[in-house]
Parts: sequence; C-alpha cells; structure tokens
Amino acid sequence: MPQGAYLRLLLFFLGPAVLVYSLFSIYPLLATIINSLYSRQNDGAYLWEGLGNFRTLLLDPTWSVPFWNALRNNFIFFLIHMCVQNPIGLLLAALLSLPRLRFRATYRTLIFMPTMLSVVVIGFVWQLILSPLWGIARMFLNFFGLGFLFAPWLGVESSALITVSLISVWQFVGIPMILIYTALLAIPDELIDAATVDGLNQFQAFVWVKLPLIWPTIGLVSILTFVNNFNAFDLIYAMKGALAGPNFSTDIMGTLFYRTFFGNQLQLGNPSMGSAIATMMLIVILTGVMVYLFLVQRRIQRYSF
Amino acid sequence: MAEVVIEKLSKSFGSVEVLKDIDLTVGDGAFVVLVGPSGCGKSTLLRSIAGLEDVSGGAITIGGRKVNDLAPAQREIAMVFQSYALYPHMDVAANMGFGLKFAGIPKAEIAARVSEAARILQLEPLLKRRPRELSGGQRQRVAIGRAIVRKPQVFLFDEPLSNLDAALRINTRVEIAKLHKLLAATIVYVTHDQVEAMTLADKIVVMNQGRIEQQGKPLDLYYRPANLFVAGFIGSPAMNFLKGEVVAGGTGLGADGRIAIALPPGATPGMKVTLGIRPEHMSIAVGGGDLHLAATVELVERLGETGFAHLRLASGTVVIAEIRGETGLKTGDRTHVALDPAHLHLFGADGRRLG
Amino acid sequence: MRKPLSAFAVHAILGLYTLLALFPIVLVVMNSFKAKRAIFNTPLRPPTPSNFDPIGYARVFDDSALPFYYLNSITVTAGAIFFTLLFGAMAAWALTEYKFRFNTLLALFLSIGIMVPIRLGSVAIIQLVAELNLINTLTALILVYTAQNLPLAIFILSEFIAQIPKDLREAARCDGLTEYNIFFHIILPLIRPAMATVAVFTMIPVWNDLWFPLLLAPAGGKQTITLGVQQFLGQYITDWNAVLAALSAAIVPVLLLYVIFSRQLIRGLTSGAVK
Repeated sequence: MPQGAYLRLLLFFLGPAVLVYSLFSIYPLLATIINSLYSRQNDGAYLWEGLGNFRTLLLDPTWSVPFWNALRNNFIFFLIHMCVQNPIGLLLAALLSLPRLRFRATYRTLIFMPTMLSVVVIGFVWQLILSPLWGIARMFLNFFGLGFLFAPWLGVESSALITVSLISVWQFVGIPMILIYTALLAIPDELIDAATVDGLNQFQAFVWVKLPLIWPTIGLVSILTFVNNFNAFDLIYAMKGALAGPNFSTDIMGTLFYRTFFGNQLQLGNPSMGSAIATMMLIVILTGVMVYLFLVQRRIQRYSF
Repeated sequence: MAEVVIEKLSKSFGSVEVLKDIDLTVGDGAFVVLVGPSGCGKSTLLRSIAGLEDVSGGAITIGGRKVNDLAPAQREIAMVFQSYALYPHMDVAANMGFGLKFAGIPKAEIAARVSEAARILQLEPLLKRRPRELSGGQRQRVAIGRAIVRKPQVFLFDEPLSNLDAALRINTRVEIAKLHKLLAATIVYVTHDQVEAMTLADKIVVMNQGRIEQQGKPLDLYYRPANLFVAGFIGSPAMNFLKGEVVAGGTGLGADGRIAIALPPGATPGMKVTLGIRPEHMSIAVGGGDLHLAATVELVERLGETGFAHLRLASGTVVIAEIRGETGLKTGDRTHVALDPAHLHLFGADGRRLG
Repeated sequence: MRKPLSAFAVHAILGLYTLLALFPIVLVVMNSFKAKRAIFNTPLRPPTPSNFDPIGYARVFDDSALPFYYLNSITVTAGAIFFTLLFGAMAAWALTEYKFRFNTLLALFLSIGIMVPIRLGSVAIIQLVAELNLINTLTALILVYTAQNLPLAIFILSEFIAQIPKDLREAARCDGLTEYNIFFHIILPLIRPAMATVAVFTMIPVWNDLWFPLLLAPAGGKQTITLGVQQFLGQYITDWNAVLAALSAAIVPVLLLYVIFSRQLIRGLTSGAVK
C-alpha cells in the first residue's frame, strides 16, 4: 500500500477516537494540573504560583483543615467499602456459584438491581427510610425490640459518614459480586471434583482451592473500589448537599472539590484551588493504582485454565 | 486392592435415564475399560463409582462395603481426570500430598508417600514445579501420582489420554499398563478410543444409551459380538453389514444373490437378518463362487503392505475389504469379493447375534 | 450434596439479602400510590382502593419537564453509546491490525483513561465547553461521555478483534475488499457480542451520572432525568407524595428495562469482565 494511503487509513480509523479522547479527557487533566500552578487575579489575569496553591492547601488552616478532613473521611469511606462491601460481595458470589443452586438467575438479577439505579435516587430513598418523620427504620428496630437504638443517623456527626458509606455499600455490592462470580465460574468443575475426591468439603474447597485462584479478581475489585471511592460525589451531594453536613462530617474529596471550584453559601468559587484539589485527588488515585500495579498485581499469580 | 460390584445401578436427571440397570463386577486387580460413544453414560458410571454423582437406584460395593452413601474421600478410590485437574496454585509435591493432608495423615508419612510415587513416575526433579511449568505428559504423570499416594482400593481413570498428542498417547498407554502390573491395582478406565480399550483391558464394557451392550474379554468382543452395536463399535475399519433374509441352506442378499452358509439353530426361512463380516475377513477373488459377490472398485487406499478396497456391490451397498500386497486393483475395475465363512456373523431383526 | 440443611442455609442467606436489596425500592414504589395519611400510618402495606391517590404523579408531571428530561437522557445515552462503539471499534481495529511506529505507545496513551477518572479534569472541561459555546447542550455531554468510555471500549474490543482468525481478513483481502470494507462489512458484524458488552458498560454510568449534567447542562431544559429528579426533589422536599412519585418515576422505567434485558446484561457483564 502506498505510504499516503496507509497514513489516510490510520487517520480515518484512529483519528476520531484520539481526537475526542485527547480533547475531552487528556487535555482537561493536563490543563487542570497546570491550572493548579496559577492563581486567578481579580482582573482575570493568571499569576504563576508554582507549588504555592498546594502549600496553601496543605498548610494554611483555612484550607488544610477541610482538606485533611475530606481526605480522612474519604479513607474511612473506602475502608468501609473494603471491609463490608467486598466481603459481602465475595460471600454472595460464593453462594451463587454453588453447583446445582436453584433460583440462581433470580437471586443474581434481584441482588444486582440496586446497582442499576441512579445514586441520586438511592440516596433519596434511604433518606426517606431513615427519616424519623416516616419512621420506617424505627419501626423495624421496634419489631426486634431494639427501638432504643434508633437515632437520626444521617443527621448526627458521629454516624453520618458511616451511614452514607453503608448506603453506598448496599447499592454497589452487585459489582464485586458479579466480578467474583464470573471468576468463580471460570474455575473448571473437574478441579472441584478433584478436591472432593481429595476429601475437602464445600467450604474447604472454597478456602483452599477457589479462593487462591480468584486473588487476581479480588485485587482488581479492590483497586476498582479505591478509584471509584476517591472519585465519589453523587451520593453525598444528593443526600447531604454540597456542604456535606452535618458540620462537614460527610465531606469527601469529590464534594470538597465541587464546593471549592463552584463556591457556595460560604465562599466564592476558586478554579485554581479547585484544580489543586483535583490534582491532589489525581495523586491519591495514581498512588493507589501504582501500589496495585507494582506491589499487589506482581505478587499475585494469575492462572489460566 | 478390592473388588467393585455394581448391582442394578440406575440414574436419571429428571425424566432422562442416563444409566439403566447396570450390573458389573470388577475383579480384584482387574483392568476394566468402559467404552462407548459420547453420551453413552460411561463417564457418569465412573463418576457414580467415585461418588461425584448421586445414583437413583441400585448398589455400589467396593471391597465388600456398600458405598452408596459415602463421600468420595471415604470410598478409598482415586481418580485421574481428563483435564488432569491439578491445582494450579500448588507445586507438584503439594498437589500430590493435598488429599493426604486433609485425611489427617502425618507430614512425614505424606512426604514419604509423595517421594515414593515421584520415584515410580520419575517425577523427582519436578517436585517443586507448578503445573503450568510442566508438559502435558508430565501433568498426566502428576495426576497419576496424586492417585497413587492415596493408596486407594480402586483407581478410576476418566479419558486420561485424550488431551495428549498421538505419540505421547501410545507411550503413556504402555506406562499405564506397566503401572497396573506393578501396583496390582484394580482399575476402571473410561475411554472412547477402542485401541486403548483393546490393548489395556482385561475386560471391556461396551455401553450405549445408558446400558451395557456387552462385557467380556477384548478378543471375545471382537470375535463374538453379541449384537449389531458392539459388532459395529469394536474394530477399525468397522464391520461390513449386508441386509438379507434367511432362505433354505443359506442367506438371500437380494440383488447380490444368495450365499450358502451353515444356519444357526433358530434361523427359519423368511427371517430378516443382517450379515456381518470384518474387512480383514474379506478378500479379492477371481470369478464367482459360493461365497463370492460381484463388486465394482470405488476406491483403493494403500497403507503400505496392507490397504483397503472400497467395493460397491450389485445391490449398491459399499463394503470395505482388506487387501495385501500388490493387487493391481484400480477404481472402476469389476471384480469379486470372497467372504471367509469362519468369520461370518449373523444378526437377527432385533440386532442380536444368532447362534 | 445431600445436605438439605446447608441448602436451606444458602437459600436463607441469599433470600434475606435479596429482600434487603428489594425492600427500599418496593417500599417507595408502593407508597407513591397512596394518600399522604396512608403513607405515614401504614407504610408497609400495599395501596388499597380506599387509600389509592395518584396526586404525587399529577404533581410530578404537571410541575416538571420530566418527559423532556427522559428524552434528554435517552439522547445522551444513545449518542454516547453510538460514538463510543463506532470510534472505539475503529481505533481498536487499527491498533490490533496495523503495525506502525508508536502503535504500543498510542495504545498505552489510550488506556490511561481506564484508571484515571475524567472527572478530575472537570475545571478544564467546563472552560473548554464554554469556549466551544456548548454549555447547556446535550452535545457537550455526549462528547464528554464518549471520551470517558472510549479507553475501556478500545481495550475490550481490541482483545476481541485479536481473536478473530487472521485467515478471515486475508481471505477478504484476496477477494479484493478494501480495508474500509473489511472493517465495516466483516469485522463490525463479527464483534457484535463484544459491542453489546461495551454498550452495557457505557449505558449504566452515563444514564445515572449526576456530575457532568450538574456541571455542563444544569439548566435550560437540557437536564438529564437524573439531574431533573435531583432538582425536583430539592424543590418539593416536604411534599411526600411528590417525592415518592418522582423517585418511582425515575426507578420504574429503568427497572422494567432491566428485568427485560437482565439476562443479556448479566451475560455481557460476566463475559466482558475485565480480566
């Protein structure tokens, strides 16, 4: 093929994807990082700040207190997902992949259902259920004789973050479940037959044969959870608004970024500081991804069957 | 080692009966091969002996002990799987010792048994390797080693050679035969390859549609197949079948004329029969004769000293006859084929052997 | 095997979890049809003829542009899926089929977006969209979502295209097809199952997203259903009938589609799961 025709061919096939992706994904990411190194003056001009914005963000108490608060909350948000969502997902996947299980498709379909719905809708639904006005939650606790435990969890500083995290867990448990379920289905039946002949019961076969074989998937689920959690915003915005109340107790990086960039009742929007926060989020996420790629993934043995 | 006795065994999935009334005795130290087309129930029967499938009726006894309700690990069996089913995340030694660990056997004993099996199977240099670092033949030997260390009463093999290439398959077949002698083991072996069945078995069990069609010594099945199915299944190329009718003093074959053969008792004139004869019992003949049929050569396949001639008879039926040496036959030649009267098989309308 | 007790335990756990997953949804949809008194007095009972009251729905469909928001969401989602599949398949084909300098580098460049969320570039995206005069347009959303979904689409489709036997393309070349025809008439039809998987991966997050509609098209009747419901709920927060009806209006169509297509959808998710 002549050189020119070949070039036209590549341009035709690759051009649209590379153009859209570069313009709306890579360029904005780079521009955001660059933005974070400038500050906007009142006259609209941009002034080079170097790492000044980051110094402000990390050291100036007006900025650093909310920042560290959001980062800490985000880690708690992530840890709750790791410790609750993923183990439940694993348990459900393990049960769903049992041989000769009846109603398998029905369970799978229904349990995955909340994952399909918008976070906004889910946030509101739970807000109603937990609301003392409607009293559904209290009704349930009363039924078990535990009515004294009821509190407006979403409105109390000490419990709001945990409650919001658990709602998110409830919605997204379908994702680890489906990913792990798929990995379990890929394990050949003969391997489990061999374990049965070797004298393992179903539980032992899970722990000693299946689990070691799905570590790569569990690793993947973990990093996906990490990236999604540090990128979260919708649920908290829908349930608690941009101010992530009460008293910023549910503030995570996404809401802090939104508030800083757009401004709110308390402050004016600040694109430069917003960019600095976005850059910090990028650093956190990339650190997580790097840890996964270079420390975790390399030590996990992958198997093909 | 022990005897395996199966009585009136049946199994159904819903309304589908996959095993029907199976009666089978595997003698102490015997090598029994289950053969049959795919879906005939041979693997299901093996898995039922292993305890991997529940049965619907009948009894399985191993070494005098009824095992129907015992878990696989308590049946004192060991199984070699088609895909080997080695644990990918364990090295060879761990793979072999894994079941023993769960049986609560002391570590030193496990190590001793593993190294003994490794010695027998020449796996010693490979003990620290993972399955994916092994060749197909080596994996196969590990799978056998994993069975040996259990010191089972019965070895069960599920098509163990089907994933190997042709050359390795012959080697491994010989190895398995030697191992059988060495361990004096009772073996039940499933295959769809009749060469494996003929060469390995003390007893072959031919299965079809969930039933046992015939069981017996390999050559008995070859020389005296009990029915059309077994006659057609054992032997390669397959036995030729000619449709006909009993007439006085012989069999009428329609357009192919009639041939004079000694009729077995019970063959009355007018009865519809099928005449069976293997390619190796047919030969090219010059001119007509009592047991000669006129034929046109369709194709000649030469394999060297021997070969096969595909011949179209007057009735349109195509038969295959073995040829030896230089016959000079070529496509289109008109010739005659002679049937060896000592090796004619006669089957009734129900497919059963007559006489 | 043969342990009814453990089978019972398995069904008990799965059944309880299924109830937990369904309960909030059922509760909201059920109560959206009831009069206000019944919502508060007997929230756990299904609606009866005596307490049936569709006032919530009346308010939702009178006071808001919900039907238009549905249309916006459908347009945006369909547009994003279309361009993600078309551009993604084209790029995946070129990357797997043609050897050129920087091939690997370009593949790596295109895969950055799998792990780095595009949201982090929002500040610059808004500026860019403003400069292009696309604020409050569905075009902006379609472009951004296409950019967001392309990396994973290219990754999945490349793996799939690489599995198509080389003989098939060689045969097509021998038959005199141009490279363009090979792609559009042979490759595209063959990778339809993988495209279905990508469509599923694209559809759910795009339909449900709140962030970009909030940033790029928050007004002017260009809201998506997710944003529209969010704004409506904020406005009518104290009107329980309206809130429950709005939530149900957002839930029910999605669930109906989900139930109809769940088999294909789960198959798509399980077959295309990132390995």
